[in-house]
Amino acid sequence: MRFSFFKGCFIPVRQPHIEKTAQIVLPMLGLDLVPAEDYTCCPEPIGVGVNHKLTGIVISARNLAVAEEAGHDIITLCNGCTYTLKQTNILLKGDEELKGKVNAILSETDHQFRGTVEVRHFAQILLEDVGLEKIRTKAERKLTGLKVANHTGCHILSPPEIMGFDDPQDPVQLDRLVEALGAEPVEYLYKTQCCGWTLSNYGDRTAAYRLLGDKLAAINEAGTDCVNLICPQCLAQFDTGQMMAGRALQLGFRLPALFYLQLLGLSMGLSLDEVGYTKHRVRDSGFEEKMGGILG
Amino acid sequence: MVINISYSARTIHGLEEAAEICLKCGICCVVEGYGCPAQYDGQFTPKHTYVYDCLGHDDPMSNANIWQCVSCHKCEEMCPYEVSPVRYIETLKSMALEEGYAPEMILGEIGLVLSTGYAFPITANTIRQRKALELPPLKESNELKVIAERTGLSSVLESWESRR
Repeated sequence: MRFSFFKGCFIPVRQPHIEKTAQIVLPMLGLDLVPAEDYTCCPEPIGVGVNHKLTGIVISARNLAVAEEAGHDIITLCNGCTYTLKQTNILLKGDEELKGKVNAILSETDHQFRGTVEVRHFAQILLEDVGLEKIRTKAERKLTGLKVANHTGCHILSPPEIMGFDDPQDPVQLDRLVEALGAEPVEYLYKTQCCGWTLSNYGDRTAAYRLLGDKLAAINEAGTDCVNLICPQCLAQFDTGQMMAGRALQLGFRLPALFYLQLLGLSMGLSLDEVGYTKHRVRDSGFEEKMGGILG
Repeated sequence: MVINISYSARTIHGLEEAAEICLKCGICCVVEGYGCPAQYDGQFTPKHTYVYDCLGHDDPMSNANIWQCVSCHKCEEMCPYEVSPVRYIETLKSMALEEGYAPEMILGEIGLVLSTGYAFPITANTIRQRKALELPPLKESNELKVIAERTGLSSVLESWESRR
């Protein structure tokens, strides 16, 4: 299965270890990531996309056109990229007049949006194309006994009729993905609450830390070993954000956050260092010992 | 509270439906764990929620609180009357950008995307980490400036410059 690899901005700039892990882990499941140099920012929805909608639509249409030229559907690693690109793709496929307007602008960049590719988040591809059965088979080192709190993130959930990933008020897909690795998903209060990254960056940082603190306390109370996520901004908030919120709110615990591809890599034979866990700010010796015992 | 938004067709498809069907029930903001994340700001209460603050402001474009909206769509999911506050707040943001009310943080990010193709600055640390992981260097693009010229965003940004 070949996909055009849309890395986005945040991962290549701030979390290159996730890009590296994706390039190691996804091919092990039969996904061929074709690089494309011409991509730009999706554009980032809150800082750019919603504030000048036409520009947001044309920039994402340009990215979709780059994938069309390569002839492959897009695989993303980020909820925000998926949110932006998917909405534009669906909008333009259903609106000839707007498509004409967008293409008239795009012609100056030698690109044209035709509407011939689909946009999907890697988690969606794992669930729908690779399938849980194959993940179960390939994940030979079962993460038995590892208690994982899943945080899906906002922008892959809503609007559900466009994103088509999970129920925004009762998400279960990440639980299924974690179970396929032999780990145990835990239920916790505030499961659907936002991570607060966007609020902390564009709005009120203190409010964002209080929000994150409540969410982390609920996760900790549920007896969790680590948090699992599928969005780089959520990872940043649960990692660097947790470090900052922990200082501000005097949180008495440390909950390591892992990107699903990192957990997948661990269960397919990679070490904590190889999946880039050592690059994270919030590490915990209790978690590391438990993982050591599980991984053998 | 009176809803003060003039819901003219300012987005590409416009906002045809009226915000006045909002019952001010507050569900979009006050249901813990499901509602609006911006409600966490200490200035909002169950009777003066984040959504009321944005939709009921006397001069909504100048209200700095509109920039706290994270477009998570929680308000839209929770609303029993399908009001979709997020769409009004996003529209207010786009109107505010044109009228000269956007915060520097937003202008900075837009400028960075247009000049480099990335929303986050490529730092020495980025370059060092990528090299250590044997990942290719990141290629910047200024093709997006051409797009912004044609969409009208460049002239909006220029009017900001002249205002300074």
